[in-house]
Amino acid sequence: MILKTSLRNFLSHKGRMALSLIAVVLSVAFVSGTLVFSNTATSTFDKLFAATASDVAVAPAPPSGDDSGQGQDTSGRTPTIPASVEQQVAAQPGVKETVPHVSATTATLVNPKTNKAVGPTTGAPTIVGAWTPGPRTPMKITSGAAPVGPGQMMIDADTAAKAKLHLGDPIRVIGERGTFDYTISGIATFTGTNPGAALAFTDLPTAQQDLLGSTKLLTGVDAYSDGSKTNDQLKAEVSAALGNAYQVKTSAEQQADNAKGVGSFLNFMKYVMLGFAGISLLVGGFLIINTFSMLVAQRTRELGLLRALGSSRRQVNRSVLTEALLLGVLGSTIGLLAGLGLALLLIQLMKGAGMTLSSSLEITSSVPIASYAVGIVITMLAAWIPARRAGRVSPMAALRDHGTPAEAGTNKVRIILGLLVTLGGAALLAVGGTSKDLGQAGSDLGLGVVLTLIGFVVLGPLLAGVAVRVLGAALPALFGPSGKLAQRNALRNPRRTGATAAALMIGLALVTGASVVTNSMVASTSEQIDKQVGADYIVTVNHGGLTAPMIDAAKGTAGISHITELRELMATLTLPDGSVVKHQAVSAVSSTFTQDFAVPVSTGSTDGLVNGGISVDQKFAKDHKLGVGDKVTVDYGSGRTQQLPVGLITSTGNTIFDNHLYATIDTVAKAVPQDQQPLDVMVFGRAASGADKAKTLTALQNSFDAYPQVSVQDQAGYKKIVQQQVDSLLTLIDGLLALAIIVAVLGVVNTLALSVVERTREIGLLRAIGLSRRQLRRMIRLESVVIAVFGALLGTGLGLAWGITAQQVLKGQGLNMLSVPVSTIVWVLIGSAVVGLLAALLPAFRAGRMNVLAAIATD
Amino acid sequence: MTTASAAVQTSDNPGGPSANAAAARQVTKAYGAGETRVTALNAVDVDIQRGRFTAIMGPSGSGKSTLMHCLAGLDTVTDGQIWIGDTEITGLKDKQLTKLRRDKIGFIFQAFNLLPTLNAIENITLPMDIAGRKPDQGWLDQVVATVGLADRLKHRPTQLSGGQQQRVAVARALAARPEIIFGDEPTGNLDSRSGAEVLTFLRRSVDELSQTIVMVTHDPVAAGYADRVLFLADGVIVDEMHAPTADSVLERMRRFDGKRTS
Repeated sequence: MILKTSLRNFLSHKGRMALSLIAVVLSVAFVSGTLVFSNTATSTFDKLFAATASDVAVAPAPPSGDDSGQGQDTSGRTPTIPASVEQQVAAQPGVKETVPHVSATTATLVNPKTNKAVGPTTGAPTIVGAWTPGPRTPMKITSGAAPVGPGQMMIDADTAAKAKLHLGDPIRVIGERGTFDYTISGIATFTGTNPGAALAFTDLPTAQQDLLGSTKLLTGVDAYSDGSKTNDQLKAEVSAALGNAYQVKTSAEQQADNAKGVGSFLNFMKYVMLGFAGISLLVGGFLIINTFSMLVAQRTRELGLLRALGSSRRQVNRSVLTEALLLGVLGSTIGLLAGLGLALLLIQLMKGAGMTLSSSLEITSSVPIASYAVGIVITMLAAWIPARRAGRVSPMAALRDHGTPAEAGTNKVRIILGLLVTLGGAALLAVGGTSKDLGQAGSDLGLGVVLTLIGFVVLGPLLAGVAVRVLGAALPALFGPSGKLAQRNALRNPRRTGATAAALMIGLALVTGASVVTNSMVASTSEQIDKQVGADYIVTVNHGGLTAPMIDAAKGTAGISHITELRELMATLTLPDGSVVKHQAVSAVSSTFTQDFAVPVSTGSTDGLVNGGISVDQKFAKDHKLGVGDKVTVDYGSGRTQQLPVGLITSTGNTIFDNHLYATIDTVAKAVPQDQQPLDVMVFGRAASGADKAKTLTALQNSFDAYPQVSVQDQAGYKKIVQQQVDSLLTLIDGLLALAIIVAVLGVVNTLALSVVERTREIGLLRAIGLSRRQLRRMIRLESVVIAVFGALLGTGLGLAWGITAQQVLKGQGLNMLSVPVSTIVWVLIGSAVVGLLAALLPAFRAGRMNVLAAIATD
Repeated sequence: MTTASAAVQTSDNPGGPSANAAAARQVTKAYGAGETRVTALNAVDVDIQRGRFTAIMGPSGSGKSTLMHCLAGLDTVTDGQIWIGDTEITGLKDKQLTKLRRDKIGFIFQAFNLLPTLNAIENITLPMDIAGRKPDQGWLDQVVATVGLADRLKHRPTQLSGGQQQRVAVARALAARPEIIFGDEPTGNLDSRSGAEVLTFLRRSVDELSQTIVMVTHDPVAAGYADRVLFLADGVIVDEMHAPTADSVLERMRRFDGKRTS
């Protein structure tokens, strides 16, 4: 019986359920889409790695202190092994075949015709190496031929297509050992998945000569077993034969390492998408609560009749929950299917970014389980409160004249509870913002954010009452009777107004908070640059490092007084107190460094750094009880060790010096010869006194003409680049904002549409006594705008509190400056008014079209 | 406009158009078409005289509510013409009709007359607010005093009894000084005492304020407050009675029922 009435009710309220359904569908689609996409991607890569990993691979030993197993030093020089290792491996019993490898990720591919870099800009590597096909090479030549001899090169098909390169076209490689020109002899295509990298191959001797500088070197050897031994046995024997100067990995270990590399990227995508799902779930929950509350309110009389006829509270309660269940099941089903579409869309997007994934979707049982669980649980939870209210409807309601319920007041318990939670959250934010301990401050911040959010949602109805009175005070004056009626309507059910606005609040709070943080990031970085950088020009490189010819070109530029180089070495430090710091970067700089940067001297002097010492920041010194003159042992790996006295301690609060250790290139060269040091990651230029700074900038840029991967900026330009990097982060936040707003708009539309239905008689009366259609529509639009602006105010207020607290917490971490994005906030508020107008379009149109007589006659 | 005057002048009622607050000529209202066509009003001629209290009576389904809705510009007619004052309203667009209702007509419905979000005085001045007119304070005070609501003006409708709510509705209808007030069973939901109160106010507003009122009712007692009663049956005016009393109306209705059943 219950199922039947529920089903009938559900079907008879199709229109009203539609918007809630969309909310459920959106959230579930994100959940299922994320799972399917990441499953598909993971399985694609697992297959690729499983198919390409050799049985045992030999690679150079990882740099000092690097336990990650990746073994590649991106800014440095390509690590090598002697070519003779291949023979040693091949000589092992059980090894059927060996394949020598040369590959470097430090080189840049350039199209000489356009002088532009070729290859991915998304962070995926450009790999230049030798074409040494083995049993598991994932590529085959699809046009032209394999490269032979110096001057010939083969590139992968995707890169060729993207850069519009064809057989016979010239191509250039700018590597750590110089610039080399080739002609494209062939194009190779991935047989399976293209992981997104750009690949270029020469023959083995050419690669050895051009990339490594000697035909006696390789970057790795792959070995294939004849099947007589397991990979582990083979690894053990190869390791024993070679000694521990190399890294030897089995097939399984290679796969695990590779998966780790891709996994972090996929995980990032997964969390972003689950973030979307979470937001739409949260916001959608409010939509569902509102829908069911209104449906219950409208049916008060009907429910009263059911009770009068003998239905128990539980039965009434259950009939509402059954409707929610139907909504949840339907929404989850559609959402699950929409999720598959979303996954396909993402795969297409990845293809656009250069990563080809298997187009057969990997749908494990976890996908439907998670989809239905999320969709049904959220719907049932959201419907729970209205369902309880339905159960409490008294049989007397059937006898009352009007179905319209009494206006719900805000109850005291709710206010007290809301105040307590909000104040608790605010206190935590305050404590977190002033706390010295970063970890503690972070958890205070997190909990504070959650509590203030819950508090605001609980207090929503109360705040709605206050805010709408204030916000709406101007409405009657500005818009006459429509304004007055709109204000009263927004006030009549504060709980509904509160819940509708809360949906908008959540999204806007997140966005405002995030944009305060990112804005502060830009401001802080700019301030740090102003404060600490004295150099006129900043030279950065996109790929690989800055080679000696590049530096020479820069030094020879007219108007440049000097160039300061900066390179980074990984080292293990042993300190006087006996503690050992692993995987610590030591920055090696030219001695002109102290002229180009405002060094914040705490103890010691800049001379202490220039004259063979090392500089540490105050915090490092304090943590390890270091004083000026104390000796630090620096181990750069491969037995290259030196003892350096602390010559300078820098004060904290300066991002360029905090957590950084500096020594001059000459000092480091005593342990690591110049030609073994990594390449420069950045260099700085100073204009000669009297030189025209703008002209010198152009001249310096011209000096790097042959190197499209290098970018030369003055301070203003460099700040702009920092801004751009932050902006790309903001794009992601904007995506979140868009989704949150879409769902919130659905919520406002839903509330208004249901309110219009609920107030049919009132609208009829108003029309009868002379309210014009235009005035009626304006009334509904204004109500909508009031709700939206109220939500936006709550959201930006909350977001500001979060953002400012986050900035305070991160004050010591480079976020020294607070910068509030005033224009963003103003736009958000204006935008919310527009959102309100848009949301009211349809409900206002429907209300305007109502037949006056029919509306009056409505029961 | 000339045709309007001509039409009214040819009517049986003396006095010409200026004496009529509303008039209907050959008004027909039909629903559906062909075999399922139902005629609610069949070529009805009516003149509503200014400054008088007219009641429209008739059994359920006689078309009395339809007649009122058509006269008030809430419903459209299938055929015929209707005037409010000197304005022909048949053929007016929604916008003009709305303006007409706002400026020239007052309404009292059986139930749900007031906006729950506005208090009594706000409800009373609502039509003028909508029109953007300032209420005439002296008149407003007089109306409020007449309906006896001076101490309830700040109350919301939910805080008022049914009789008080209807009195607020009467005050609203009077406050804007419309040419004509239409009441659709205004006492239908009230007990006899409250009903009598409301009807007394309507009567007084005609006598003391010279208001024109048209009221649809099925209650002979209510009709007894009117100056004139029109009897409707099957979409046609079958009789009228001047200076009625509850008893004479009841008597007439009985005869009417008897004629119908015979």
